[in-house]
Amino acid sequence: MAALSAFKAIGRGLLGAAIGLAIGWGLALLLGAAIPADDATIRKPQVIIAVGYLFALIGWLLGVGLWSGWAREWLRLPTMELTETDWRRYFRFSLDHKVIGLQYLVTFVVLMLLAGVLALVVRVELATPGEDILGADGFNTVMGLHGIMMIAVAVATITGGLANYLVPLMIGAEDVAFPRVNALSYWIVPPVAILLILTPFFGGFDTGWTAYPPLSVVNANGQLLFLLAFLTFGLSSIFGGLNFTTTILKLRAPGMTLMRMPIFVWSVLGASLIAVTATQFVAFGLLMVILDRVVGTSFFDASKGGDPLLYEHIFWFYSHPAVYVMILPGFGIELEVISHFSRKPLFGYKYVVGSILAIVFLSMIVWAHHLFTSGMQDFLLIPFMATTEVISIPTGVIFLAALATMWRGRLRLTTAMLFAIGVVFNFLIGGVTGIFLADVPTDIHLQENYFTVAHFHYTIMGGEIFMIMAGLYYWFPKITGRMFSETLGKLHFVTMFVFFQLTFLPMFWVGMQGMNRRVADYNVEFGDLNQIISIMSYLLGASFIFMVINMVRAWFGGERAVGNPWGARTLEWQTTSPPPVENFDAPPEVTGDPYGYGTPEAPAHSSPATGTVGN
Amino acid sequence: MSRDGVVVGLIWLILTVAGEALAWNVEFFPSAAADQAIIIDESFAMLVRLAIPVMAFVIAMLVYSALRFRHRGDPLEDGPPTQANKKVMGAWFGVTTALTVLMIINPGITGLNELWELADEPVDMVIEIEGSRFFWRAGYSEYGFSTFSGNPTDELVLPIGAHVRFDITSVDVLHSFWIPAFRMKIDAVPGMTTVVHVRATELGDYRDDINFRVQCAELCGVLHGQMTMPVRVVTQLEFEAWVTTKQ
Repeated sequence: MAALSAFKAIGRGLLGAAIGLAIGWGLALLLGAAIPADDATIRKPQVIIAVGYLFALIGWLLGVGLWSGWAREWLRLPTMELTETDWRRYFRFSLDHKVIGLQYLVTFVVLMLLAGVLALVVRVELATPGEDILGADGFNTVMGLHGIMMIAVAVATITGGLANYLVPLMIGAEDVAFPRVNALSYWIVPPVAILLILTPFFGGFDTGWTAYPPLSVVNANGQLLFLLAFLTFGLSSIFGGLNFTTTILKLRAPGMTLMRMPIFVWSVLGASLIAVTATQFVAFGLLMVILDRVVGTSFFDASKGGDPLLYEHIFWFYSHPAVYVMILPGFGIELEVISHFSRKPLFGYKYVVGSILAIVFLSMIVWAHHLFTSGMQDFLLIPFMATTEVISIPTGVIFLAALATMWRGRLRLTTAMLFAIGVVFNFLIGGVTGIFLADVPTDIHLQENYFTVAHFHYTIMGGEIFMIMAGLYYWFPKITGRMFSETLGKLHFVTMFVFFQLTFLPMFWVGMQGMNRRVADYNVEFGDLNQIISIMSYLLGASFIFMVINMVRAWFGGERAVGNPWGARTLEWQTTSPPPVENFDAPPEVTGDPYGYGTPEAPAHSSPATGTVGN
Repeated sequence: MSRDGVVVGLIWLILTVAGEALAWNVEFFPSAAADQAIIIDESFAMLVRLAIPVMAFVIAMLVYSALRFRHRGDPLEDGPPTQANKKVMGAWFGVTTALTVLMIINPGITGLNELWELADEPVDMVIEIEGSRFFWRAGYSEYGFSTFSGNPTDELVLPIGAHVRFDITSVDVLHSFWIPAFRMKIDAVPGMTTVVHVRATELGDYRDDINFRVQCAELCGVLHGQMTMPVRVVTQLEFEAWVTTKQ
C-alpha cells in the first residue's frame, strides 16, 4: 500500500488531465461550430487537439501538485506538506532542488537512451540505399523525433538536472529561489514526452525538429502535437532560466562573491540568461504556426501576404542561442573537472567568465548564418559571417583555459577526466568544421548536407553529451552517495570515444561528396561508407551498456561514497554524500577561491561539519 | 624555453607539416564543373590550410599533457598554482583575433565577392526553376518549352561556357535547388524568386557522375530524398540540337 501511495500525485495528475481534456474537447466542439464548412474537415480536429491539450495540461498540473502544493495557500486553505524522505518523494511534486534535480536527471538520461535507440533505427534505414524498414514517411517522423528529443536532452540534462542538484550546493544555498516554479518546470515535461510519443499515431511529422512552414502548416496533425510539445518545453526552459538567474544572483552564501563562484555556476548563469531572453522568440514562432494551422491566420502563407522566411528568422533567433544553453554549462563541467583532476587553479578564470558573457551576447547576433542559402538579402551575408566567426575568439579562451590548466598539473585520469579531455578533442573538430559552415562560400555547398550533420553531432554529442558524461561520473558519488566502477567507466569512455569518431568522421566525407541530409534514400555511390557508418553507430550505441550497468550496479550496491572522494575544493564536496535536506549541517562561509590548488596557505571554504578541505 | 615546451613545439611542427602535406594531396570534392565550384573549393582548401596548425596545436598540447603529466602518486598532491598572466592572454587573444579577421576576409569576403562578380557578368541564358512536391520544372522560356522531372526522360540541360541564371521559386513548400557538381544552392521559396548563377566549365552527364543532378536540399516531406532531376552539361552545338528536339 505504501508503494501505491507514491503514485497518488501522478494519478491525480492523470485524472486532472482527463477532466481537462473533456472540458477542452467540449469547448472545442462549441468553437468548431463557427468554422466554415469547407475548412471544417481540416480545422475541426486541430481545434480539438489544441484546446483539448491546453485544458489537459492545466488539469495535469493542478492534479499533480499545483493545487495541493501551491493554489491552496493562495486560497488560505490548509496546505499539505510533503513529509516523505524515502524514494516516494521522487514521484511527487517535491520542492527540494535535489529531488527535482534527480527527477530531471533520470527522466532525461532515459530520454537520451530512447532517442539514441531512434538514431540506431535511422542508421538501420540508412545502412543501405533504398527504403528498407521505415519507408520515407516513417523515416521523417523517426528522424524528427530523434532530433527534438535529443535537443530536449541537450537543453535540460544539465540546466534542469545537474544544475538543479548542484548549483545551490556550489553556492552554499539551501535551495533555489523559487522551489515551486522549479517543481512546475519539471512537471511540465511529462506532457511534452507524451505528446511526442503520440505524434506517430496522428500521422507523424515530416519537417524535422525545425518545423519550417509552409510544410509545417499543411501536413498531418502529428505536426500540431509536435508544435504544442515544443512550445510547452520552451515554457519549462524559461522557468528554469528565471529560477537559476535569481538563485545565483541572490542566494549565495556569505563570502561567495561573484568572482569566487565555481565556473560551472557562471556557465549556468550564462545559459539561464539566454533561456530567459531568447526562448520567447521560438515560442512565438511556434505559436504563429499553430495559429496558421488551427485558426487560419496566414503569417507564413505567401499567397495571403505571409512570409515563409519570417519563421526561419524567428526560429533561429532562439535556436542558435539555444545551442549555447546546451554548450555553455557543458564548458563549465569540462573546466570544473579538468581543474580538479589536474589539481591546479583554473587558468584564466576571469577571462573565462568574460568569455562566457561574451558568448551570451554574441549568440544573439549570429542567427542568420542558418539562412545563408535561404534567399534572404545578400547584404546580410557578410555581417552574419563575421559575427559568427568572431565567436571563435571567446571559445578560444575556453580552449586555452582547458589546455593551460592541464599543463604541468598532477593529472588523475579518472573516468570523468577522460571524458573532459575527450571533449577538448571533439569540440575542436566540431568548432573548426563550424568555421566551414560560417564561411558563406563553403556553406553554400555544405549547408543541408552530411557535413552539417557531422558538424553538429561533433559539437552537441561529441561536445555536450560527452560533457554530460563527465558531469555524471564526476558528481555521481555526491548525488547517489555511492562509488561506481572506474574500470567500467573507462571502458565506457574508450568505446564511446572511438566509435563516436568512426561514426561521425566519415559523415563529413559523404557530405562533401554530395550526400544531403534528412533523406531515407540515397544514391548507391554513397552505400559503402553509409554501411560502415551504420555498423559503427551500433557499436557506439552499445558502448552505453557499460554506463547503464555501471550506474545501476553502483547506485544499488556500490561502495558508500565519502563526502569528498575526489578531494575537490568546491563547496558541494564539503558536505555529506548525498547532502542532508538543508544541504549543509551549518550554513557555510566562504573565505577563499574554489581553485586554490598548490597554495597550502590559501583560505578555503569551511563547513564545520566536514572539517578540513581536501580529505 | 622548458623541455616540455620544446617537445610540444616539435610535435606541433611535425603534425602541422604532415597535415598540410596531406591536405595538399587530398581531393576533397568531386570534380568542379563550374567557375563557382572552383571558388568554393578554393575557399574550402584555404580554410583547411588555416585550420591545420590550430588543430595541430590543440592536439599536441592535449595528448602530450595527458601522457606526460599523468600522476599516479598521492592523489591529493597539487600542481603548481600557475595563474594566467597578461602576456599569455594577450598573445593568445592576438593570435586568435588575427586568425579570425584573416578568415573573415579570406576566404570569406574574398570568395563571396568573387561569386558576386561572376553573377554581375552578362547573362547568356535564363532558366526558370519551379519546385513542387516532389518535382522540379525547368523552364526554357526563350525557346518556348520546359522540362519536368516527373517525366522519366526529362533533364536539365545547359551549354558549357554559358553564364546561366536560374530564377527559382516554389509553388507549395520550401525546397532548395542544389547541384553538387556546381556546389551552388539556394532555397526555392513560395512567393519569391531566388537566383543562382552558374557558368559550367566541364562537360558532364548524370549517368557518369551523380553530382550532375538537381537535389532538393530543404526537407519538403515524404519524397524529399527522391526530389532530383538529372543534369547534363553539353557543347553549344549539342545544346541547340537538344532544344530543337524539345520544341
